[in-house]
Amino acid sequence: MDSDVLVRVKNLQTFFYQNGRCNKAVNGVSFDIKRGKTLCVVGESGCGKSVTASSIMQLLPELSRIEKGSEITYFSEKGEIRIDQQKRNGKVMRSLRGSEFAMVFQDPMTSLNPVYTIGYQLAENLQYHTPLNRKERKKRSVGLLRDMGIPLPEERVDEYPHQFSGGMRQRAMIAMAMACNPKVLIADEPTTALDVTIQAQVFDLIMKLKKDRNTAIMLITHDMGVVSELADDVVVMYMGNVVEAGTLEDVFRSPSHPYTVALLRSIPILGKGRDQDINPIRGVTPDPYDRPSGCQFAPRCDFFKEGVCDKCMPDATSLSKTHSVRCWKFVGGSGYGN
Amino acid sequence: MFAYTIRRFLTLIPMILIMTFLIFLGMDLTPGDAVSFMASPEAMANMSQAQLAQLRESLGLNDPFFMRYLTWLGGVLHGDFGYSLTSGVPIKDIVLSRIPATLELSVAALLISTFLGTILGLVSAVRKGRPVDHILTITGMIGVSIPEFFLGLVALLLFAINLNWFPIGGRLRPEYTVYWDHMKNLILPALVLGVTMTAGVMRYTRSSMLDTINKDYIKTARSKGLPEWRINLVHGFRVALTPVVVLIGFRLPILIGGSVVIEQIFQWPGVGNEFLGAVRSQNYPLVMMIALFSVFAVLIASFIIDLLTAALDPRVQLD
Amino acid sequence: MLNRQLILDKKMDRIRSMEESGTFKVHKGSRGMQKMLHNKLSIAGLVIFSVIMITSMFAPLFTSFDPLAIDLKAVLQSPSTTHWFGTDKLGRDVFSRVLYGGRISILVGFGSALGASFVGVLLGAWGGFRGGFIDKVFMRVSEIFMAFPQIILVLLLVSIVGQSMRNLIFIFMVTGWGSIYRMTRAKMLSIREEEYIQALRAFGIHPLIICYKHMLPNALGPIMVNITLSTAMFILQEAALSFLGLGVPLQIATWGNVLNAANDLTVLKSYWWIWLPVGVVISLFVLGINFIGDGLRDAADPSQQG
Repeated sequence: MDSDVLVRVKNLQTFFYQNGRCNKAVNGVSFDIKRGKTLCVVGESGCGKSVTASSIMQLLPELSRIEKGSEITYFSEKGEIRIDQQKRNGKVMRSLRGSEFAMVFQDPMTSLNPVYTIGYQLAENLQYHTPLNRKERKKRSVGLLRDMGIPLPEERVDEYPHQFSGGMRQRAMIAMAMACNPKVLIADEPTTALDVTIQAQVFDLIMKLKKDRNTAIMLITHDMGVVSELADDVVVMYMGNVVEAGTLEDVFRSPSHPYTVALLRSIPILGKGRDQDINPIRGVTPDPYDRPSGCQFAPRCDFFKEGVCDKCMPDATSLSKTHSVRCWKFVGGSGYGN
Repeated sequence: MFAYTIRRFLTLIPMILIMTFLIFLGMDLTPGDAVSFMASPEAMANMSQAQLAQLRESLGLNDPFFMRYLTWLGGVLHGDFGYSLTSGVPIKDIVLSRIPATLELSVAALLISTFLGTILGLVSAVRKGRPVDHILTITGMIGVSIPEFFLGLVALLLFAINLNWFPIGGRLRPEYTVYWDHMKNLILPALVLGVTMTAGVMRYTRSSMLDTINKDYIKTARSKGLPEWRINLVHGFRVALTPVVVLIGFRLPILIGGSVVIEQIFQWPGVGNEFLGAVRSQNYPLVMMIALFSVFAVLIASFIIDLLTAALDPRVQLD
Repeated sequence: MLNRQLILDKKMDRIRSMEESGTFKVHKGSRGMQKMLHNKLSIAGLVIFSVIMITSMFAPLFTSFDPLAIDLKAVLQSPSTTHWFGTDKLGRDVFSRVLYGGRISILVGFGSALGASFVGVLLGAWGGFRGGFIDKVFMRVSEIFMAFPQIILVLLLVSIVGQSMRNLIFIFMVTGWGSIYRMTRAKMLSIREEEYIQALRAFGIHPLIICYKHMLPNALGPIMVNITLSTAMFILQEAALSFLGLGVPLQIATWGNVLNAANDLTVLKSYWWIWLPVGVVISLFVLGINFIGDGLRDAADPSQQG
């Protein structure tokens, strides 16, 4: 057993049930989150990235569930905890959230409660997970804001979210998440709603925290540039499946799945000038209620082969110890003539 | 907060001017000699035609319309509301003697409906889609559908006449010595008026709460590992309350209107009862002045509600 | 608590197996209508509404008594097979008074709601589309109307123009258009920003046509809800006014006028059949309308899924 693994997600299936239909938002996702490492989950919007994150935190809406056969295991200091078997808002989940697991959301404009001061919302976290008293909590809140690089923390701690700028709010959000020194920080597109210059600052902050506190980070993003700079491990998702997983090196140096290749080809490269070829992926993501029968990417794939790709989804094939891919091209004897 | 208060207060002034102007226009257009409600009846009784004409002149009744309005407005601002056509009593005295009763009834009903409505609405929202929610929703629908006076009649028949728990009507009686005697008269009308308003408050609290529960910061609160009660009450309800307070403000006119009917049924000696009497006897000056009073009441109440909203929501003052 | 989770789980299992075997139901037709029909309460409302509406409209088929015929030989009779709801102080058949009264009450309610909506929608659509001075004036005027407690304003107008059915409808229209104006205006303001409206403008299509032909139909959903709910409100108001003796003149049978008898303490105490059934009928009818309105609201609101 790899002692660095903090969270092991195995064959995660999270389905949504609405309007009498079942949407298989996440359908068989596996990966590990390791101590002191950054795991980047990449994919288009609607591919199940956020649902995966919410599943780990058990923050799913009421009409959805983690299906049987899924495993989310947290290797805590006190032993293994099977998160998928916990009651959604039960005692165990509540004690994990905020203290061992913390989450930073996409839009800092809406993820802070507008009627309470930043300090109040920070202290609330400490109140439930630490034995600190009111005074100490306040002191700690100020300290946290200072650590996150917010100027004049003594004054700003008593201000309301609307008095903060977007970047400052996201810093406050991160302060809140880091309040109890969590083992795992899940950041769900933490910079999508921010300006580009602020984005870099926020990422710098997250990376500094990772280094200083040895926190495991699961970063959800659709920005390949961000991935290439920050990731240790990469998981590429498409329509609820992991299509390719590996180290940054694996995925960026030798992208194997046609979707990964296409994704990488669609990014403009700075400095290459205006003549570069940018190849957008053709087609659109399919309707989640009307999925392709075989490989989910088949209808948009340049390597589509009739009779193979439209039969069923292939299993993961290991290309190396760290690198795996789910594509018929790599399945031996699949009838996919190379 | 202070600057906001002043700013909000200043916006009241044009509204008050328009309202007084309309009321004056109404008085001018309705039948009746203006002298008769601008001078006391004793003074008029022993006056000759010539004296009357002189009085007319001195009261400024021959002036152009707009001048008369200003004179009248000056009078109103100094507390001179004129005289009732039927009894000759100063309108100010009539209204002042009736206000305590109406205020008592309205405040009691407001408290009942606010407490019941917000709590039931909260329960309904938190238990959305479960039996409690369905029962409350349907009960609420029935509540807004029953005419308040019909509910009052049924309550009167059941609790006052058949069960004899409460007196049939009225407010203060000479034989009342203990405070409870007095309360007994208040309970039934206040409950009926309060309950008819509860349904609306409940419905609105529910939808406001459901709205809030879906907000991102509720997910944030949950991700911090807070207990459910704290998420619902401290993060959800506290935010959901602001629009509810605004709604209660909007419903104050309905409360005042409702009290007109309830006062009639329970023979409650309030402004509403006086108003009905004035409408029936076509006592126009009294009708107009009570209407003006009610508008003032609504405007001042909405002013207070606005301040309350600003106190509840730190974002409001910036706008 | 646990039980609910089990029920939910079962439901999810069922949906999942249907999905996997490909036998899920595909909804055909208008999604709004689907939702409306799915809502048991709005169906119940529709039934209650239709029953009362039809019996009132075809009153002569359901009762042979004249609602106004005074019969001093049959005064204050309790309900019997001849007089279903008994007779009142003047020996008039209460059942027929309730049926015939329904005609007037419903007419006043619907008439006022339609009238007020017509004015409110017509002005509100233009005000929201055009904005500017006209809009400001109408907003101010509606604000003035809404600052009055509704019943006080209505009674004040009644005291000025006098009591009659036509006056009452007129007064309800005058006092009721404001809220519909505001709602229509708000809806139009948001539609105005949509791109197809910009496109229509760019094509140089006449503003009147853009406003009433292209924009207004998109705002109709909430307006319909408002019309139903206004009808309920006006029926309640007519009943209250007539109960106070200040609505429709007493000699005409309306629901409120029938209830007016309950002002008398002896009637209230001893002759319940005169006022209790009609009160229940009003409540049921308004409840029916409210159920329908609620169903319409759900159907018109795309943000509410489930």
